[in-house]
Amino acid sequence: MKDKLSKEEVMHVAELAKIKISEEEVEKYQVELKQLLNDVEKINDVKGYDEDILIAPWTDKTSLRKDERGIMLQPKEVLENAPRHSGNYIEVPVVISEGEGA
Amino acid sequence: MTNYIPTIGVEVHVELKTKTKIFSNSINGYGEMANSLTNVVDLGYPGTLPTLNEEVLNLAIKAATVLNCKIRRQMHFDRKNYFYPDNPKNYQITQFDTPIGYDGYVEIEVDGKTKKIEIEEMHIEEDTCKSTHRGTKTLLDFNRAGVPLIEIVTKPCMESSKEAKLYLEKLKELLFYCDISDCKMEEGSMRADANVSIRKSESDPFGTKCEIKNIGSISNVGLSIEKEIIRQQALLERGETFKEQTRRYDDKLGDTVLMRVKETGNDYRYFPEPDIPYLYVTDERIERVKEDIPMLPNERRKKYMDLGVSELNANKLVQNRSLSDYFNTLLEEKINFKIASNLLLGDIAAYLNKHEKNIENTTLTKERFIDLINNVDDGTLTSKNLKDILDTVLDNNLSIKEIIKESGIKNITDDGAIREIIIKIINDNPESVKDYKDGKDRAIKFLMGQVMKETKGSANPKIANEILTSELNK
Repeated sequence: MKDKLSKEEVMHVAELAKIKISEEEVEKYQVELKQLLNDVEKINDVKGYDEDILIAPWTDKTSLRKDERGIMLQPKEVLENAPRHSGNYIEVPVVISEGEGA
Repeated sequence: MTNYIPTIGVEVHVELKTKTKIFSNSINGYGEMANSLTNVVDLGYPGTLPTLNEEVLNLAIKAATVLNCKIRRQMHFDRKNYFYPDNPKNYQITQFDTPIGYDGYVEIEVDGKTKKIEIEEMHIEEDTCKSTHRGTKTLLDFNRAGVPLIEIVTKPCMESSKEAKLYLEKLKELLFYCDISDCKMEEGSMRADANVSIRKSESDPFGTKCEIKNIGSISNVGLSIEKEIIRQQALLERGETFKEQTRRYDDKLGDTVLMRVKETGNDYRYFPEPDIPYLYVTDERIERVKEDIPMLPNERRKKYMDLGVSELNANKLVQNRSLSDYFNTLLEEKINFKIASNLLLGDIAAYLNKHEKNIENTTLTKERFIDLINNVDDGTLTSKNLKDILDTVLDNNLSIKEIIKESGIKNITDDGAIREIIIKIINDNPESVKDYKDGKDRAIKFLMGQVMKETKGSANPKIANEILTSELNK
Protein backbone atom coordinates (compact mmCIF):
# COMPACT_ATOMS: atom_id res chain seq x y z
CA MET A 1 0.00 0.00 0.00
CA LYS A 2 1.27 3.46 -0.90
CA ASP A 3 1.98 5.71 2.05
CA LYS A 4 1.01 8.90 0.30
CA LEU A 5 -1.18 10.29 -2.46
CA SER A 6 0.32 11.66 -5.67
CA LYS A 7 0.63 15.42 -6.09
CA GLU A 8 -1.97 15.28 -8.86
CA GLU A 9 -4.52 13.59 -6.59
CA VAL A 10 -4.09 16.28 -3.95
CA MET A 11 -4.38 19.05 -6.55
CA HIS A 12 -7.56 17.45 -7.91
CA VAL A 13 -9.16 17.43 -4.45
CA ALA A 14 -8.14 21.07 -3.96
CA GLU A 15 -9.69 21.95 -7.30
CA LEU A 16 -12.98 20.26 -6.34
CA ALA A 17 -13.00 22.14 -3.05
CA LYS A 18 -12.18 25.36 -4.92
CA ILE A 19 -9.21 26.13 -2.68
CA LYS A 20 -5.66 27.23 -3.49
CA ILE A 21 -2.87 25.40 -1.69
CA SER A 22 0.87 26.01 -1.56
CA GLU A 23 3.60 23.58 -2.60
CA GLU A 24 4.38 22.77 1.06
CA GLU A 25 0.72 22.14 1.78
CA VAL A 26 0.49 19.76 -1.16
CA GLU A 27 3.34 17.70 0.30
CA LYS A 28 1.75 17.75 3.76
CA TYR A 29 -1.67 16.66 2.43
CA GLN A 30 -0.14 13.89 0.33
CA VAL A 31 0.59 12.13 3.61
CA GLU A 32 -2.34 13.34 5.74
CA LEU A 33 -5.10 12.64 3.23
CA LYS A 34 -3.70 9.17 2.60
CA GLN A 35 -3.79 8.45 6.35
CA LEU A 36 -7.42 9.59 6.43
CA LEU A 37 -8.28 7.32 3.52
CA ASN A 38 -6.60 4.38 5.20
CA ASP A 39 -8.69 4.96 8.31
CA VAL A 40 -11.93 5.22 6.34
CA GLU A 41 -11.13 2.06 4.41
CA LYS A 42 -11.44 0.08 7.65
CA ILE A 43 -15.22 0.35 7.11
CA ASN A 44 -14.82 -2.20 4.32
CA ASP A 45 -13.85 -4.79 6.95
CA VAL A 46 -17.31 -4.63 8.55
CA LYS A 47 -19.29 -7.77 7.72
CA GLY A 48 -23.04 -8.30 7.55
CA TYR A 49 -24.31 -5.63 5.19
CA ASP A 50 -23.97 -7.50 1.94
CA GLU A 51 -27.56 -7.08 0.72
CA ASP A 52 -28.44 -3.47 1.38
CA ILE A 53 -26.01 -0.68 1.88
CA LEU A 54 -26.44 0.95 5.27
CA ILE A 55 -27.53 4.47 4.47
CA ALA A 56 -28.51 5.66 7.93
CA PRO A 57 -27.81 4.52 11.47
CA TRP A 58 -31.34 3.12 11.77
CA THR A 59 -33.46 0.81 9.64
CA ASP A 60 -36.87 2.51 9.76
CA LYS A 61 -38.45 3.42 6.46
CA THR A 62 -38.63 7.11 5.62
CA SER A 63 -41.65 9.08 6.74
CA LEU A 64 -43.57 11.11 4.20
CA ARG A 65 -45.00 14.60 4.57
CA LYS A 66 -48.46 15.67 3.36
CA ASP A 67 -48.37 18.28 0.59
CA GLU A 68 -49.52 21.09 2.92
CA ARG A 69 -48.17 24.58 3.27
CA GLY A 70 -46.28 25.71 6.35
CA ILE A 71 -44.80 28.93 7.64
CA MET A 72 -42.19 30.60 5.43
CA LEU A 73 -39.52 33.18 6.17
CA GLN A 74 -39.98 36.83 5.28
CA PRO A 75 -37.52 38.02 2.58
CA LYS A 76 -36.05 40.37 5.23
CA GLU A 77 -35.21 37.40 7.45
CA VAL A 78 -33.70 35.53 4.49
CA LEU A 79 -31.38 38.45 3.73
CA GLU A 80 -30.31 38.99 7.36
CA ASN A 81 -27.51 36.40 7.18
CA ALA A 82 -26.39 37.26 3.66
CA PRO A 83 -23.19 39.33 3.50
CA ARG A 84 -24.63 41.37 0.62
CA HIS A 85 -27.96 41.80 -1.05
CA SER A 86 -29.40 43.72 -3.94
CA GLY A 87 -33.10 44.43 -3.47
CA ASN A 88 -34.57 41.12 -2.36
CA TYR A 89 -31.82 39.12 -4.04
CA ILE A 90 -28.81 37.66 -2.25
CA GLU A 91 -25.72 38.97 -3.99
CA VAL A 92 -22.51 36.99 -4.54
CA PRO A 93 -19.45 37.64 -6.72
CA VAL A 94 -20.13 36.77 -10.36
CA VAL A 95 -19.92 33.10 -11.13
CA ILE A 96 -18.36 32.44 -14.51
CA SER A 97 -19.37 28.93 -15.41
CA GLU A 98 -23.08 28.43 -15.81
CA GLY A 99 -25.17 25.33 -15.78
CA GLU A 100 -23.77 23.55 -12.73
CA GLY A 101 -26.02 21.43 -10.62
CA ALA A 102 -29.47 20.47 -11.82
CA MET B 1 -18.80 15.20 -48.02
CA THR B 2 -19.22 11.96 -46.07
CA ASN B 3 -22.63 11.21 -44.66
CA TYR B 4 -22.48 10.94 -40.91
CA ILE B 5 -25.03 9.28 -38.64
CA PRO B 6 -25.98 11.49 -35.71
CA THR B 7 -26.68 9.95 -32.31
CA ILE B 8 -28.80 11.99 -29.94
CA GLY B 9 -29.86 11.51 -26.35
CA VAL B 10 -32.07 13.93 -24.45
CA GLU B 11 -32.27 14.77 -20.75
CA VAL B 12 -35.31 16.62 -19.53
CA HIS B 13 -35.92 18.27 -16.17
CA VAL B 14 -39.56 18.79 -15.28
CA GLU B 15 -40.87 20.70 -12.27
CA LEU B 16 -43.68 18.85 -10.55
CA LYS B 17 -47.06 20.46 -9.93
CA THR B 18 -47.20 20.22 -6.14
CA LYS B 19 -48.40 22.80 -3.62
CA THR B 20 -45.18 22.66 -1.62
CA LYS B 21 -41.53 21.88 -2.15
CA ILE B 22 -39.91 18.47 -2.23
CA PHE B 23 -38.31 18.41 1.24
CA SER B 24 -39.94 21.38 2.99
CA ASN B 25 -43.42 22.82 3.44
CA SER B 26 -42.76 26.18 1.76
CA ILE B 27 -44.80 27.04 -1.33
CA ASN B 28 -43.82 25.75 -4.77
CA GLY B 29 -44.60 28.87 -6.82
CA TYR B 30 -43.39 30.89 -9.79
CA GLY B 31 -43.28 34.63 -10.46
CA GLU B 32 -43.42 35.75 -6.81
CA MET B 33 -41.17 38.34 -5.14
CA ALA B 34 -37.56 37.06 -4.88
CA ASN B 35 -36.76 35.04 -1.75
CA SER B 36 -40.35 35.14 -0.50
CA LEU B 37 -41.07 31.39 -0.83
CA THR B 38 -38.42 29.83 1.37
CA ASN B 39 -37.64 28.46 4.79
CA VAL B 40 -34.53 27.20 6.58
CA VAL B 41 -34.62 23.81 4.83
CA ASP B 42 -34.57 25.39 1.34
CA LEU B 43 -31.76 27.71 2.41
CA GLY B 44 -29.68 24.78 3.63
CA TYR B 45 -29.32 25.93 7.24
CA PRO B 46 -27.26 23.61 9.45
CA GLY B 47 -29.33 21.22 11.53
CA THR B 48 -32.37 21.18 9.24
CA LEU B 49 -33.64 17.88 7.92
CA PRO B 50 -35.43 17.04 4.65
CA THR B 51 -38.81 15.25 4.74
CA LEU B 52 -40.10 13.91 1.44
CA ASN B 53 -43.42 15.31 0.15
CA GLU B 54 -45.80 12.39 -0.48
CA GLU B 55 -47.28 14.08 -3.56
CA VAL B 56 -43.81 14.15 -5.17
CA LEU B 57 -43.62 10.38 -4.82
CA ASN B 58 -47.13 9.98 -6.27
CA LEU B 59 -46.43 12.24 -9.27
CA ALA B 60 -43.13 10.47 -9.94
CA ILE B 61 -44.93 7.10 -9.93
CA LYS B 62 -47.54 8.57 -12.28
CA ALA B 63 -44.82 9.82 -14.65
CA ALA B 64 -43.00 6.47 -14.52
CA THR B 65 -46.28 4.71 -15.36
CA VAL B 66 -47.17 6.83 -18.40
CA LEU B 67 -43.56 6.61 -19.63
CA ASN B 68 -43.86 2.80 -19.48
CA CYS B 69 -41.05 2.56 -16.92
CA LYS B 70 -40.47 -0.19 -14.41
CA ILE B 71 -40.98 1.19 -10.91
CA ARG B 72 -38.41 0.52 -8.20
CA ARG B 73 -39.90 -0.66 -4.90
CA GLN B 74 -37.04 0.18 -2.57
CA MET B 75 -34.86 3.21 -3.07
CA HIS B 76 -32.77 5.86 -1.41
CA PHE B 77 -31.57 9.34 -2.23
CA ASP B 78 -27.98 10.41 -2.93
CA ARG B 79 -25.95 13.54 -2.40
CA LYS B 80 -24.41 15.05 -5.50
CA ASN B 81 -21.59 17.19 -4.15
CA TYR B 82 -20.50 20.36 -5.88
CA PHE B 83 -19.40 23.83 -4.89
CA TYR B 84 -21.60 26.54 -6.35
CA PRO B 85 -23.73 29.32 -4.85
CA ASP B 86 -26.99 27.96 -6.30
CA ASN B 87 -26.98 25.33 -3.57
CA PRO B 88 -25.67 26.43 -0.16
CA LYS B 89 -25.70 22.87 1.24
CA ASN B 90 -22.94 22.18 -1.32
CA TYR B 91 -24.86 19.14 -2.48
CA GLN B 92 -28.04 18.46 -4.34
CA ILE B 93 -30.32 15.69 -3.11
CA THR B 94 -31.00 13.41 -6.06
CA GLN B 95 -31.32 9.71 -6.92
CA PHE B 96 -28.13 8.32 -8.42
CA ASP B 97 -28.00 4.59 -7.59
CA THR B 98 -31.73 3.90 -7.42
CA PRO B 99 -33.80 6.00 -9.82
CA ILE B 100 -37.53 5.47 -9.22
CA GLY B 101 -38.23 4.57 -12.88
CA TYR B 102 -36.13 2.70 -15.45
CA ASP B 103 -36.34 0.87 -18.79
CA GLY B 104 -39.28 2.83 -20.19
CA TYR B 105 -40.23 4.21 -23.58
CA VAL B 106 -42.28 6.82 -25.39
CA GLU B 107 -43.70 6.09 -28.85
CA ILE B 108 -43.39 8.67 -31.60
CA GLU B 109 -44.57 8.64 -35.23
CA VAL B 110 -41.73 9.39 -37.66
CA ASP B 111 -42.59 9.48 -41.35
CA GLY B 112 -45.54 7.15 -40.84
CA LYS B 113 -43.61 4.66 -38.72
CA THR B 114 -43.84 4.13 -34.97
CA LYS B 115 -40.53 4.40 -33.15
CA LYS B 116 -39.91 3.68 -29.49
CA ILE B 117 -37.71 6.26 -27.80
CA GLU B 118 -36.14 4.31 -24.98
CA ILE B 119 -35.97 5.85 -21.54
CA GLU B 120 -32.91 4.81 -19.61
CA GLU B 121 -34.13 6.11 -16.26
CA MET B 122 -36.10 8.82 -14.49
CA HIS B 123 -35.31 10.05 -11.02
CA ILE B 124 -36.52 12.48 -8.38
CA GLU B 125 -34.39 15.45 -7.29
CA GLU B 126 -34.55 18.98 -5.91
CA ASP B 127 -34.21 22.11 -8.02
CA THR B 128 -31.51 24.64 -7.14
CA CYS B 129 -31.89 28.37 -6.58
CA LYS B 130 -32.09 30.61 -9.61
CA SER B 131 -28.98 32.66 -10.30
CA THR B 132 -28.95 35.71 -12.54
CA HIS B 133 -25.62 37.10 -13.70
CA ARG B 134 -25.34 40.91 -13.74
CA GLY B 135 -21.91 42.34 -14.60
CA THR B 136 -19.67 41.64 -11.62
CA LYS B 137 -22.46 40.24 -9.46
CA THR B 138 -24.59 37.14 -9.36
CA LEU B 139 -28.06 37.52 -7.84
CA LEU B 140 -29.70 34.59 -6.07
CA ASP B 141 -33.40 33.86 -5.68
CA PHE B 142 -34.17 30.82 -3.51
CA ASN B 143 -37.86 30.58 -4.45
CA ARG B 144 -36.85 27.81 -6.86
CA ALA B 145 -34.58 26.03 -4.36
CA GLY B 146 -36.24 22.77 -3.36
CA VAL B 147 -38.89 22.77 -6.08
CA PRO B 148 -39.48 19.09 -6.90
CA LEU B 149 -38.07 17.84 -10.21
CA ILE B 150 -38.03 14.64 -12.16
CA GLU B 151 -35.20 14.13 -14.62
CA ILE B 152 -35.97 11.89 -17.58
CA VAL B 153 -33.00 10.49 -19.48
CA THR B 154 -33.28 8.72 -22.85
CA LYS B 155 -30.79 6.27 -24.28
CA PRO B 156 -28.71 7.64 -27.18
CA CYS B 157 -31.35 6.32 -29.56
CA MET B 158 -32.42 9.27 -31.73
CA GLU B 159 -30.92 9.94 -35.14
CA SER B 160 -32.29 13.34 -36.10
CA SER B 161 -33.40 16.66 -34.69
CA LYS B 162 -36.89 15.76 -35.93
CA GLU B 163 -37.02 12.68 -33.70
CA ALA B 164 -35.80 14.69 -30.72
CA LYS B 165 -38.50 17.30 -31.27
CA LEU B 166 -41.25 14.69 -31.70
CA TYR B 167 -40.10 12.97 -28.51
CA LEU B 168 -40.20 16.23 -26.55
CA GLU B 169 -43.65 17.09 -27.88
CA LYS B 170 -44.95 13.66 -26.87
CA LEU B 171 -43.33 13.87 -23.47
CA LYS B 172 -44.77 17.32 -22.85
CA GLU B 173 -48.24 16.20 -23.91
CA LEU B 174 -48.16 13.16 -21.60
CA LEU B 175 -46.88 15.02 -18.54
CA PHE B 176 -49.27 17.91 -19.09
CA TYR B 177 -52.30 15.65 -19.56
CA CYS B 178 -51.59 13.78 -16.35
CA ASP B 179 -51.21 17.01 -14.32
CA ILE B 180 -47.65 16.03 -13.48
CA SER B 181 -46.21 19.36 -14.63
CA ASP B 182 -47.43 22.45 -16.45
CA CYS B 183 -44.41 21.96 -18.79
CA LYS B 184 -43.88 25.65 -19.56
CA MET B 185 -40.47 25.79 -21.21
CA GLU B 186 -40.56 29.61 -21.24
CA GLU B 187 -40.91 29.63 -17.44
CA GLY B 188 -38.35 26.89 -16.96
CA SER B 189 -40.75 24.27 -15.62
CA MET B 190 -39.53 22.01 -18.44
CA ARG B 191 -35.85 22.23 -19.47
CA ALA B 192 -34.03 20.14 -22.03
CA ASP B 193 -30.38 19.19 -22.59
CA ALA B 194 -29.29 17.34 -25.73
CA ASN B 195 -26.25 15.08 -26.14
CA VAL B 196 -25.06 14.96 -29.73
CA SER B 197 -22.36 12.90 -31.42
CA ILE B 198 -21.79 11.71 -34.98
CA ARG B 199 -20.11 8.67 -36.57
CA LYS B 200 -19.58 7.37 -40.08
CA SER B 201 -21.34 4.03 -39.80
CA GLU B 202 -23.50 2.10 -37.38
CA SER B 203 -20.68 -0.35 -36.76
CA ASP B 204 -18.35 2.44 -35.54
CA PRO B 205 -18.22 3.29 -31.84
CA PHE B 206 -20.09 6.46 -30.83
CA GLY B 207 -18.24 9.68 -31.65
CA THR B 208 -17.18 12.27 -29.06
CA LYS B 209 -20.34 13.78 -27.64
CA CYS B 210 -21.15 17.39 -26.87
CA GLU B 211 -23.87 18.41 -24.50
CA ILE B 212 -26.10 21.39 -25.26
CA LYS B 213 -27.49 22.65 -21.97
CA ASN B 214 -30.74 24.31 -20.93
CA ILE B 215 -32.42 24.82 -24.28
CA GLY B 216 -35.44 27.10 -23.93
CA SER B 217 -37.94 25.75 -26.46
CA ILE B 218 -38.65 22.61 -28.46
CA SER B 219 -37.92 24.36 -31.77
CA ASN B 220 -34.56 25.52 -30.41
CA VAL B 221 -33.77 21.93 -29.44
CA GLY B 222 -34.18 21.06 -33.12
CA LEU B 223 -32.14 24.03 -34.35
CA SER B 224 -29.32 23.53 -31.86
CA ILE B 225 -28.99 19.83 -32.71
CA GLU B 226 -28.80 20.64 -36.42
CA LYS B 227 -26.14 23.30 -35.84
CA GLU B 228 -24.15 20.98 -33.60
CA ILE B 229 -24.19 18.19 -36.22
CA ILE B 230 -22.90 20.63 -38.87
CA ARG B 231 -20.15 21.88 -36.52
CA GLN B 232 -18.95 18.37 -35.68
CA GLN B 233 -19.06 17.30 -39.34
CA ALA B 234 -16.90 20.25 -40.38
CA LEU B 235 -14.32 19.40 -37.69
CA LEU B 236 -14.15 15.72 -38.65
CA GLU B 237 -13.94 16.56 -42.37
CA ARG B 238 -10.91 18.71 -41.63
CA GLY B 239 -9.43 15.75 -39.77
CA GLU B 240 -9.61 17.50 -36.41
CA THR B 241 -10.44 15.80 -33.14
CA PHE B 242 -12.26 17.50 -30.30
CA LYS B 243 -12.83 17.00 -26.60
CA GLU B 244 -16.17 16.46 -24.89
CA GLN B 245 -17.66 19.81 -24.14
CA THR B 246 -20.70 21.61 -22.82
CA ARG B 247 -22.31 24.16 -25.12
CA ARG B 248 -25.40 26.31 -25.04
CA TYR B 249 -27.71 27.53 -27.79
CA ASP B 250 -27.57 31.27 -28.44
CA ASP B 251 -30.92 32.31 -29.85
CA LYS B 252 -29.67 35.62 -31.30
CA LEU B 253 -26.63 34.01 -32.88
CA GLY B 254 -28.67 31.04 -34.08
CA ASP B 255 -25.81 28.73 -33.16
CA THR B 256 -24.33 26.79 -30.26
CA VAL B 257 -21.52 28.40 -28.27
CA LEU B 258 -18.91 26.84 -26.00
CA MET B 259 -19.51 26.96 -22.24
CA ARG B 260 -16.69 24.72 -21.06
CA VAL B 261 -14.51 21.85 -22.15
CA LYS B 262 -14.73 18.78 -19.97
CA GLU B 263 -11.08 18.28 -19.00
CA THR B 264 -11.75 15.65 -16.39
CA GLY B 265 -14.90 13.68 -15.75
CA ASN B 266 -17.30 15.31 -13.29
CA ASP B 267 -16.41 14.32 -9.81
CA TYR B 268 -19.58 14.70 -7.80
CA ARG B 269 -18.57 12.22 -5.12
CA TYR B 270 -22.08 10.78 -4.89
CA PHE B 271 -22.98 8.98 -1.70
CA PRO B 272 -26.29 7.89 -0.13
CA GLU B 273 -28.20 10.70 1.63
CA PRO B 274 -28.08 9.65 5.29
CA ASP B 275 -30.84 12.10 6.31
CA ILE B 276 -33.52 10.20 4.37
CA PRO B 277 -33.96 6.51 5.24
CA TYR B 278 -35.05 3.94 2.66
CA LEU B 279 -38.19 4.75 0.71
CA TYR B 280 -40.59 1.92 -0.17
CA VAL B 281 -43.27 1.92 -2.86
CA THR B 282 -46.20 -0.43 -2.24
CA ASP B 283 -48.53 -2.07 -4.80
CA GLU B 284 -51.46 -0.24 -3.16
CA ARG B 285 -49.82 3.12 -3.80
CA ILE B 286 -49.10 2.28 -7.44
CA GLU B 287 -52.71 1.15 -7.94
CA ARG B 288 -54.06 4.33 -6.30
CA VAL B 289 -51.90 6.50 -8.55
CA LYS B 290 -52.93 4.59 -11.68
CA GLU B 291 -56.62 5.25 -10.96
CA ASP B 292 -55.82 8.93 -11.22
CA ILE B 293 -54.43 8.72 -14.77
CA PRO B 294 -56.84 10.16 -17.35
CA MET B 295 -57.34 8.83 -20.89
CA LEU B 296 -54.01 9.54 -22.63
CA PRO B 297 -53.65 11.66 -25.79
CA ASN B 298 -52.92 8.75 -28.16
CA GLU B 299 -55.98 6.84 -27.03
CA ARG B 300 -58.12 9.97 -27.37
CA ARG B 301 -56.91 10.60 -30.93
CA LYS B 302 -57.66 7.03 -31.93
CA LYS B 303 -61.12 7.03 -30.34
CA TYR B 304 -62.10 10.32 -31.99
CA MET B 305 -61.01 9.14 -35.41
CA ASP B 306 -62.86 5.84 -34.96
CA LEU B 307 -66.01 7.92 -34.37
CA GLY B 308 -65.59 9.79 -37.65
CA VAL B 309 -63.70 12.89 -36.53
CA SER B 310 -61.05 14.02 -39.04
CA GLU B 311 -57.38 13.57 -38.14
CA LEU B 312 -56.93 17.35 -38.12
CA ASN B 313 -59.83 17.86 -35.71
CA ALA B 314 -58.76 14.93 -33.53
CA ASN B 315 -55.32 16.52 -33.12
CA LYS B 316 -56.79 19.94 -32.45
CA LEU B 317 -59.10 18.52 -29.79
CA VAL B 318 -56.26 16.74 -28.04
CA GLN B 319 -54.26 19.97 -28.02
CA ASN B 320 -57.05 21.62 -26.04
CA ARG B 321 -57.33 19.61 -22.85
CA SER B 322 -60.55 21.19 -21.62
CA LEU B 323 -62.42 20.76 -24.94
CA SER B 324 -61.09 17.21 -25.20
CA ASP B 325 -62.33 16.37 -21.69
CA TYR B 326 -65.72 17.83 -22.60
CA PHE B 327 -65.79 15.83 -25.83
CA ASN B 328 -65.02 12.67 -23.84
CA THR B 329 -68.31 13.01 -21.96
CA LEU B 330 -70.11 12.48 -25.30
CA LEU B 331 -68.32 9.36 -26.47
CA GLU B 332 -71.14 6.95 -25.57
CA GLU B 333 -73.83 9.04 -27.28
CA LYS B 334 -75.34 8.38 -30.70
CA ILE B 335 -74.55 11.68 -32.39
CA ASN B 336 -72.73 13.00 -35.42
CA PHE B 337 -69.22 13.37 -33.98
CA LYS B 338 -67.94 15.14 -37.05
CA ILE B 339 -70.44 17.95 -36.50
CA ALA B 340 -69.73 17.89 -32.75
CA SER B 341 -65.98 18.39 -33.34
CA ASN B 342 -66.59 21.10 -35.97
CA LEU B 343 -68.88 23.01 -33.62
CA LEU B 344 -66.51 22.77 -30.66
CA LEU B 345 -63.39 23.76 -32.59
CA GLY B 346 -65.13 26.37 -34.74
CA ASP B 347 -67.80 28.73 -33.46
CA ILE B 348 -67.69 27.55 -29.85
CA ALA B 349 -63.87 27.83 -29.57
CA ALA B 350 -64.09 31.32 -31.11
CA TYR B 351 -66.70 32.32 -28.51
CA LEU B 352 -64.56 30.91 -25.68
CA ASN B 353 -61.49 32.79 -26.89
CA LYS B 354 -63.38 36.04 -27.28
CA HIS B 355 -64.90 35.83 -23.81
CA GLU B 356 -61.79 34.24 -22.22
CA LYS B 357 -63.89 31.40 -20.87
CA ASN B 358 -63.54 27.67 -20.47
CA ILE B 359 -66.28 25.43 -21.78
CA GLU B 360 -67.14 24.45 -18.18
CA ASN B 361 -67.99 28.09 -17.45
CA THR B 362 -70.69 28.24 -20.13
CA THR B 363 -74.27 26.98 -19.90
CA LEU B 364 -73.64 24.35 -22.57
CA THR B 365 -74.57 21.19 -20.69
CA LYS B 366 -74.00 17.88 -22.38
CA GLU B 367 -77.75 17.51 -23.03
CA ARG B 368 -78.10 20.94 -24.66
CA PHE B 369 -74.99 20.33 -26.80
CA ILE B 370 -76.41 17.02 -28.04
CA ASP B 371 -79.64 18.84 -28.87
CA LEU B 372 -77.68 21.49 -30.77
CA ILE B 373 -75.68 18.88 -32.73
CA ASN B 374 -78.88 17.06 -33.74
CA ASN B 375 -80.51 20.30 -34.93
CA VAL B 376 -77.50 20.99 -37.15
CA ASP B 377 -77.38 17.38 -38.30
CA ASP B 378 -81.02 17.32 -39.49
CA GLY B 379 -80.69 20.71 -41.19
CA THR B 380 -82.98 22.64 -38.83
CA LEU B 381 -80.07 24.98 -38.12
CA THR B 382 -77.85 26.29 -40.91
CA SER B 383 -74.35 27.49 -40.13
CA LYS B 384 -75.60 31.05 -40.41
CA ASN B 385 -78.43 30.38 -37.92
CA LEU B 386 -75.93 28.87 -35.58
CA LYS B 387 -73.78 32.00 -35.56
CA ASP B 388 -76.88 34.07 -34.79
CA ILE B 389 -77.99 32.06 -31.77
CA LEU B 390 -74.65 30.82 -30.36
CA ASP B 391 -74.21 33.57 -27.74
CA THR B 392 -77.67 32.77 -26.36
CA VAL B 393 -76.95 29.05 -26.39
CA LEU B 394 -73.76 29.52 -24.42
CA ASP B 395 -74.88 32.05 -21.82
CA ASN B 396 -78.40 31.08 -20.80
CA ASN B 397 -80.33 27.97 -19.94
CA LEU B 398 -83.18 28.04 -22.46
CA SER B 399 -83.66 24.83 -24.43
CA ILE B 400 -82.37 24.82 -28.00
CA LYS B 401 -85.96 24.47 -29.21
CA GLU B 402 -87.01 27.62 -27.33
CA ILE B 403 -84.01 29.55 -28.61
CA ILE B 404 -84.81 28.61 -32.22
CA LYS B 405 -88.43 29.62 -31.67
CA GLU B 406 -87.60 32.93 -29.99
CA SER B 407 -85.00 33.94 -32.54
CA GLY B 408 -87.66 33.61 -35.25
CA ILE B 409 -85.57 31.28 -37.39
CA LYS B 410 -87.84 30.10 -40.16
CA ASN B 411 -85.83 28.10 -42.53
CA ILE B 412 -87.31 27.36 -45.87
CA THR B 413 -88.09 23.69 -45.58
CA ASP B 414 -90.90 23.86 -48.11
CA ASP B 415 -89.76 21.72 -51.02
CA GLY B 416 -91.77 23.69 -53.56
CA ALA B 417 -90.32 27.07 -52.55
CA ILE B 418 -86.75 25.76 -52.58
CA ARG B 419 -87.25 23.97 -55.91
CA GLU B 420 -88.51 27.23 -57.48
CA ILE B 421 -85.35 29.09 -56.41
CA ILE B 422 -83.09 26.24 -57.55
CA ILE B 423 -84.62 26.08 -61.01
CA LYS B 424 -84.08 29.84 -61.38
CA ILE B 425 -80.42 29.47 -60.36
CA ILE B 426 -79.88 26.57 -62.77
CA ASN B 427 -81.30 28.67 -65.60
CA ASP B 428 -79.11 31.66 -64.66
CA ASN B 429 -75.88 29.60 -64.57
CA PRO B 430 -75.66 27.40 -67.66
CA GLU B 431 -71.82 27.35 -67.47
CA SER B 432 -71.82 25.76 -64.03
CA VAL B 433 -74.43 23.23 -65.09
CA LYS B 434 -72.18 22.26 -67.99
CA ASP B 435 -69.19 21.99 -65.62
CA TYR B 436 -71.23 19.73 -63.36
CA LYS B 437 -72.17 17.47 -66.26
CA ASP B 438 -68.47 17.36 -67.22
CA GLY B 439 -67.76 15.96 -63.76
CA LYS B 440 -66.36 19.04 -62.06
CA ASP B 441 -67.29 18.67 -58.38
CA ARG B 442 -66.82 22.25 -57.40
CA ALA B 443 -69.65 23.33 -59.73
CA ILE B 444 -72.24 21.90 -57.33
CA LYS B 445 -70.59 23.72 -54.44
CA PHE B 446 -70.85 26.97 -56.38
CA LEU B 447 -74.52 26.38 -57.17
CA MET B 448 -75.27 25.52 -53.49
CA GLY B 449 -73.57 28.79 -52.55
CA GLN B 450 -75.89 30.64 -54.92
CA VAL B 451 -78.92 28.95 -53.34
CA MET B 452 -77.79 29.99 -49.84
CA LYS B 453 -77.12 33.52 -51.08
CA GLU B 454 -80.53 33.77 -52.70
CA THR B 455 -82.29 32.48 -49.56
CA LYS B 456 -80.03 34.52 -47.24
CA GLY B 457 -78.84 31.28 -45.64
CA SER B 458 -82.31 30.16 -44.64
CA ALA B 459 -82.73 27.15 -46.91
CA ASN B 460 -82.44 23.80 -45.16
CA PRO B 461 -79.10 22.70 -46.64
CA LYS B 462 -79.94 19.01 -46.62
CA ILE B 463 -83.18 19.47 -48.56
CA ALA B 464 -81.63 22.06 -50.89
CA ASN B 465 -78.75 19.72 -51.72
CA GLU B 466 -81.12 16.85 -52.52
CA ILE B 467 -83.30 19.00 -54.79
CA LEU B 468 -80.30 20.58 -56.54
CA THR B 469 -78.78 17.17 -57.28
CA SER B 470 -82.05 15.79 -58.61
CA GLU B 471 -82.70 18.86 -60.80
CA LEU B 472 -79.16 18.75 -62.21
CA ASN B 473 -79.53 15.09 -63.08
CA LYS B 474 -82.79 15.54 -64.95
